[in-house]
Amino acid sequence: MIERKLLVKARLGLHARAAAKLVRLTATFRSKIILRRLEGGPNADAKSILSVLMLAATAGTELEASVDGVDEQAAMLAIEKLFAESFGEREVEA
Amino acid sequence: MKQQAPEIRCKGLGVSEGIVIGQVLRMVDGASQVSRWSVNENDLENERQRFRQAALIASERLRTLRDQAGGRLGKDHAYILDAHVLLLEDEKLLGDIAEYITAERVNAEWAIKVIGDRLTTLYSEIKDDYLRERGSDIEDVMQRLLTALSGARPEDLRLAEDAVIVSRDLLPSALAELDLEHAQALATDSGGWTSHTAILARGIGLPAVVGLRDFYRRTKTGDRIIVDSNRSEVILHPSTQTLAEYQKQTGQTSARRKAVPVAERGAFCTQDGVEIRLRANVELPAEFDTVEKYGACGIGLYRSEFLLARNGLTVSEEEQRIAYEAVARLAGEAGAIIRLFDLGGENTRSHFREPEKNPALGLRAIRFGLRNDSVMRRQLRAILLAGATGKLKIVLPMVTDVSEVRRVKAMIAEEIDKLKNDGQPYGDVPIGAMIEVPAAVMMAEKIAACVDFFELGTNDLVQYTLAVDRGNDEVADWFRTLHPAVLEGISRSLNAAQHAGIPAIVCGEMASTPAYAVLLIGLGATDLSMTPSAMPRVRRTLAAIDSASARSIVEECLACESADEVEYLVHSRLGSCWPQLFPASSLPKPRPSQ
Repeated sequence: MIERKLLVKARLGLHARAAAKLVRLTATFRSKIILRRLEGGPNADAKSILSVLMLAATAGTELEASVDGVDEQAAMLAIEKLFAESFGEREVEA
Repeated sequence: MKQQAPEIRCKGLGVSEGIVIGQVLRMVDGASQVSRWSVNENDLENERQRFRQAALIASERLRTLRDQAGGRLGKDHAYILDAHVLLLEDEKLLGDIAEYITAERVNAEWAIKVIGDRLTTLYSEIKDDYLRERGSDIEDVMQRLLTALSGARPEDLRLAEDAVIVSRDLLPSALAELDLEHAQALATDSGGWTSHTAILARGIGLPAVVGLRDFYRRTKTGDRIIVDSNRSEVILHPSTQTLAEYQKQTGQTSARRKAVPVAERGAFCTQDGVEIRLRANVELPAEFDTVEKYGACGIGLYRSEFLLARNGLTVSEEEQRIAYEAVARLAGEAGAIIRLFDLGGENTRSHFREPEKNPALGLRAIRFGLRNDSVMRRQLRAILLAGATGKLKIVLPMVTDVSEVRRVKAMIAEEIDKLKNDGQPYGDVPIGAMIEVPAAVMMAEKIAACVDFFELGTNDLVQYTLAVDRGNDEVADWFRTLHPAVLEGISRSLNAAQHAGIPAIVCGEMASTPAYAVLLIGLGATDLSMTPSAMPRVRRTLAAIDSASARSIVEECLACESADEVEYLVHSRLGSCWPQLFPASSLPKPRPSQ
């Protein structure tokens, strides 16, 4: 099992569109993937969009991901990449 | 062969002009009536099956919709729909509903409603405006499940480039999120001329009819619809004949929409040589390119609240500075006026722990800023810093007398000292007062002596002068922009500014209506700020009139005893002075007296 901290950088937080991208990604891995808020709170199954949405992760929220399974390395790498790229959100020009 | 549904015409209020023929795209389905009944132990398995089957159908339909949307509506819309598909396939969600059916021995509809309500309640407790509003995604999905259960088949589920957004009440953030390239028009059940969504629709030139009451529930996504904002009407399932009539008309309208008034920019003169300036009211980044497109003389009103829609009151100094610098760049030489956070009423709901009983008269605008010192100082510093890179001014919303102005000025002086000590470059930022409550009008001469400019917010001035809630349909008859008291207030404020030798900009929605704009010129205004898309109309009108005639009409108006009388007078006098500009049909009609 691997554990990593993740930062929600997307300006609108982990909202429906971002969550959809995350769930589409996690679904391609066999590992069990759990997210939780760093400050505590319930575990969210990263393959369930409802769970992910209920994290209510706004911009700047720190999450902890634990990935456990045969493809855990690849899964974690892909998840970190998605978070680093702010879920591919077009930055709204301010 | 499906039967042609009968044509339905629905009257609302056209708040952003234009005619569009398109297809309904429903947004944020609402809760419908759901009844509860008990299910026998023996039938529970059937009920669960019925539910699972409906979920399959709903997700199948939505997938088709999503795949079509990807090409037609752009990727961003497709991803919203994808989130809904995932919800419809979410084992946690479906499992919870199936369990509820078993545990409570109830029908699937009721289980969906209970679980859905639970989730939306959880959502409503989220302390972030943007995410909280996404509770509507859950509602949308629940509605899809219920539709599938009812056996109804949404026909022609197609999303096309001619999408007309139909919703009960489209929240500003939802509008902001839309890919506006593809939405062609807007039709909503609630809202009025000055509702936030209407203002935004005008801002981006999106034809809109609001206040349609119970239109939303009659529509299905994919229905053929005509939005005729000029007649304040929407037509669902138009007959072949109606459609043909409109197709003839819209050939012209769409050409008009694309026409860029290249020659029309900068200041211009009335027939008798009074120089007029039109500035832009803006809020969303999506509106920014309209400032240049319509040739605005800078930005007369930047509503900074949009910066809070995403991050709340914690929005950083840095993020604000970047935003204000962009606004200054956009405004160029003519400069931009930034209104300090005008929080309260419809744009704040959430920032208060408990809703106020009377938000319009509550802790809002400048009062909120003075109470929340750190929020205000962060904003002031960001503006001062951005002021080093371009021309910015600050306007204080809802001022009632000079004490509020002085307090903010003192804060600015302190922040300037701090910036100096830190060796940070800052700009000289003039301070203006928003004249939008009767107290400010009555104190106009005194306030004028201690600010650099006035800005007249006519929307609020009408609301507060007449004590009429502009969002309340019940008292819509009392919301009279042309009330003599309103004209008197504008007149007094403009005179006070003139005597003090400071500029006054009229920035409410009144300025964007040609007939009203003429009256404003008659009252002595020369500087108007409005939604950019309204500029060509206003410019054409004001360039064709003479201010002397406008003044004589206004003098008659000021002598009137009632709003009815003013409306009647304006209707007849504008029409007779400038028949080519104001054919009878174009004027706000006088209302029968109450």
